[in-house]
Amino acid sequence: MGDVAYLASLKKVTQFYIVTAFLALFIGVLIGPLQALNYGGINVYEWPVIRNLLGSYYQGLSLHGVLNALVFTQFFISGWMLYLPVRDLGMRINLRFAWFTYALMTLGLLLAAVPLLTNGATLLYTFYPPMQGDALFYIGAALMVGSSLLVVGQVVHTWLRWKRANPGKVTPLVAFMSVATWMMWALAALGIVVEVVALLIPWSLGLVGGVDPLVSKTLFWWTGHAIVYFWVLPAYISWYAFLPRQAGGRLASEPLTRLVFVMFLLSSVPVGLHHQYADPNIPNLWKNIHMFLTFLIAVPSLLTAFSVGAALEDAARARGGRGLFGWVAQLPWGNAVFSAQVLAMVSFIAGGAGGVVNASSSFSGVVHNTTWIPGHFHITVGTATTLTFMGVSLWLIPHLTGKRLPSLRLASWSVWTWFFGMMVFALGMHWQGLYGVPRRSQVSAAAVDAFGNLPLALPTLLTAVSGVILLVSAVLYFSVLFRMLLSPRVDDGEQAAPLPYSEAISPAGESLATASPLVRATEPLLALWAAALVLVVLMYGPVMARLFAEMQLVPGWRLY
Amino acid sequence: MAPRPSAPAPRLEHHSLERYEAIWFGIATLMAVLLFVAAIASFISGTYTAIEGTGGGHHITGVESGRLDPRNLAATPFAEPGLRENPDGTLEAFVVARAFAFQPATLRVPAGRPVTIHLTSADVMHGYQVTGTNINATAIPGQVTSFTTTFRRPGTLSLVCNEYCGTGHHNMVNTIVVEAPGTQNQTE
Ligand code: HEM
Ligand SMILES: [Cu+2]
Ligand SMILES: [Cu+2]
Repeated sequence: MGDVAYLASLKKVTQFYIVTAFLALFIGVLIGPLQALNYGGINVYEWPVIRNLLGSYYQGLSLHGVLNALVFTQFFISGWMLYLPVRDLGMRINLRFAWFTYALMTLGLLLAAVPLLTNGATLLYTFYPPMQGDALFYIGAALMVGSSLLVVGQVVHTWLRWKRANPGKVTPLVAFMSVATWMMWALAALGIVVEVVALLIPWSLGLVGGVDPLVSKTLFWWTGHAIVYFWVLPAYISWYAFLPRQAGGRLASEPLTRLVFVMFLLSSVPVGLHHQYADPNIPNLWKNIHMFLTFLIAVPSLLTAFSVGAALEDAARARGGRGLFGWVAQLPWGNAVFSAQVLAMVSFIAGGAGGVVNASSSFSGVVHNTTWIPGHFHITVGTATTLTFMGVSLWLIPHLTGKRLPSLRLASWSVWTWFFGMMVFALGMHWQGLYGVPRRSQVSAAAVDAFGNLPLALPTLLTAVSGVILLVSAVLYFSVLFRMLLSPRVDDGEQAAPLPYSEAISPAGESLATASPLVRATEPLLALWAAALVLVVLMYGPVMARLFAEMQLVPGWRLY
Repeated sequence: MAPRPSAPAPRLEHHSLERYEAIWFGIATLMAVLLFVAAIASFISGTYTAIEGTGGGHHITGVESGRLDPRNLAATPFAEPGLRENPDGTLEAFVVARAFAFQPATLRVPAGRPVTIHLTSADVMHGYQVTGTNINATAIPGQVTSFTTTFRRPGTLSLVCNEYCGTGHHNMVNTIVVEAPGTQNQTE
């Protein structure tokens, strides 16, 4: 295959991943406002249109959670973090294998979609057993998530080939960040893969008589917490490597950026027990150890806030900005690619701070399984990640396809309304949560009003209003996106929208021999990956061993 | 985007950046450690109801290592859900969650006395959240969740299921009645 045809095909497979991701988000996001209205006290699930489309509140919620949090993120990230390291390393990959992986992932999605759409898997995206769904759901989910491990394999293999061809060289930053994130995900995904393949599929096929709900839940959160870093690190890649250039400045420090990703590789996974403070038969000692590690992993995110802040200040000063804070005004706020990402970061400052609070066992009892939690993750994955990916799509799709963004103004409106809507949403939901309003509950249809005497009028109103704002925002964004995708190809993407690599204030250098100790210490990712595995085994091994030794199998139920 | 020649703003350079980085790294680590110290202090002083190891210090008939068979609750005290006073004066309450109600539907407890609550589920997972408190526990079929708490003020509290358990989940709301000391004996 010639270079031109090769690049075209690489871009095509990336585009397929990205477009599939946004199609899933489109459906998923349309259900969101209905849920916001529910928490605004308005039950629209009896309306004939909606009743015909969604069997129940909980079926809609299962679709919303699976499509947004699992499908959208995984497809986008698979395309994004396949394309970037391959381009950054300048390597050729086996495109047949890449297309095969995409096809398998999509097949998994389609198989899982059947029971989801026919009320055969109304389990919510956490699918806690012994609530049981059709076997097809678990099989599809396993195929979909399992395919992401094939992307891991392809990217790590490509990087190793590059290492062999370039002895003594420092891995370029974008490739480094991508490989480290994929390695982290490979460890993280083990939990859910074991849960689904070894426990849930045999159980749903009737091959075993029961399931241990606690073993399953613990395996789920092995993946379920680390997955949040799998959602946010691909956004960090953009914030570190591309945003400075888009703002007109420079990346702060390559060595520090590498350290941040290594910290995530080492300690993203052994923290999942902080989701299980309310669960029995897990020793408090281990819950507290995981809590400690969770707090530690706030450190690399705080370092990211520093680095990105420095890069933005550098950009603003280059544009003539002055003063201690006055420079902020010089940033290109009208550019949707830029503003989407910076607003995503602002949202993440609030969301990240809330996340650290949520991880404390002392506070967990107040907010666990209340609306506080969806309030929290809509300003993290729902904005920090999603709004970043929306901003990225505005240059990435022109880059991949040679098509043009139809309207910068509409794009800008969609970005600002998303940010504003999510802030209002988060306020309403966090606030209700403090009064104990449960999440995942069709409260607008409840027979008993357990919260009638509490002062919930304002937070309820805010939540309802935010749903309307977010609906408008989603319509704006998707109309821009679909118009762009359906427009004719006019440019050469390589010329019109090149990959926006940024220059660094403190670069890592090219040769390992002359690089700083930090750069040399972070280069051997394979060894660091092994160390991360050891850490996971140490931090989960004793807990899992006891849970397996004392398994208590119980029968499945379908109560939906 | 060239800088305006008339306004030469000082730009960041490598060395000052490195110094600020190191300081911020220190602050970030310190914050993480302080947070942990605070949470552990709260754990040790018991400002929240941590879920205790198997049985919360009580032996429960028919329960091994915190596990039981949800199809055979009859072999355990969960056969008769409710509050009981042990000969040594301690209080234990047995609660069963099943779609879509708790048993007993109204749990009566005396104010000001520690109660160990044992919770299990007869079918799927449920949540046990008492509004206005930080009591928040998972009910899991096959497992017993135990914790000890003291209800201080008399009154009626809502007990809400906060774990998705099926079509009736939002209607799974019951009550806990906290009675002033001295009145509870007449009600049973
Ligand atoms: C139009 C924008 C959106 C609105 C109005 C919205 C609204 C909501 C509401 C009200 C809930 C809580 C439902 C409940 O607990 O009963 C919820 C749950 C959820 N949302 Fe969104 N959402 C939006 C977009 C997103 C996005 C972009 C993501 C992620 C990428 C996302 C991921 C989730 C997840 C994972 C859940 C939890 C589902 C569960 O508890 O099983 N949402 N959403
Ligand atoms: Cu978590
Ligand atoms: Cu429930």
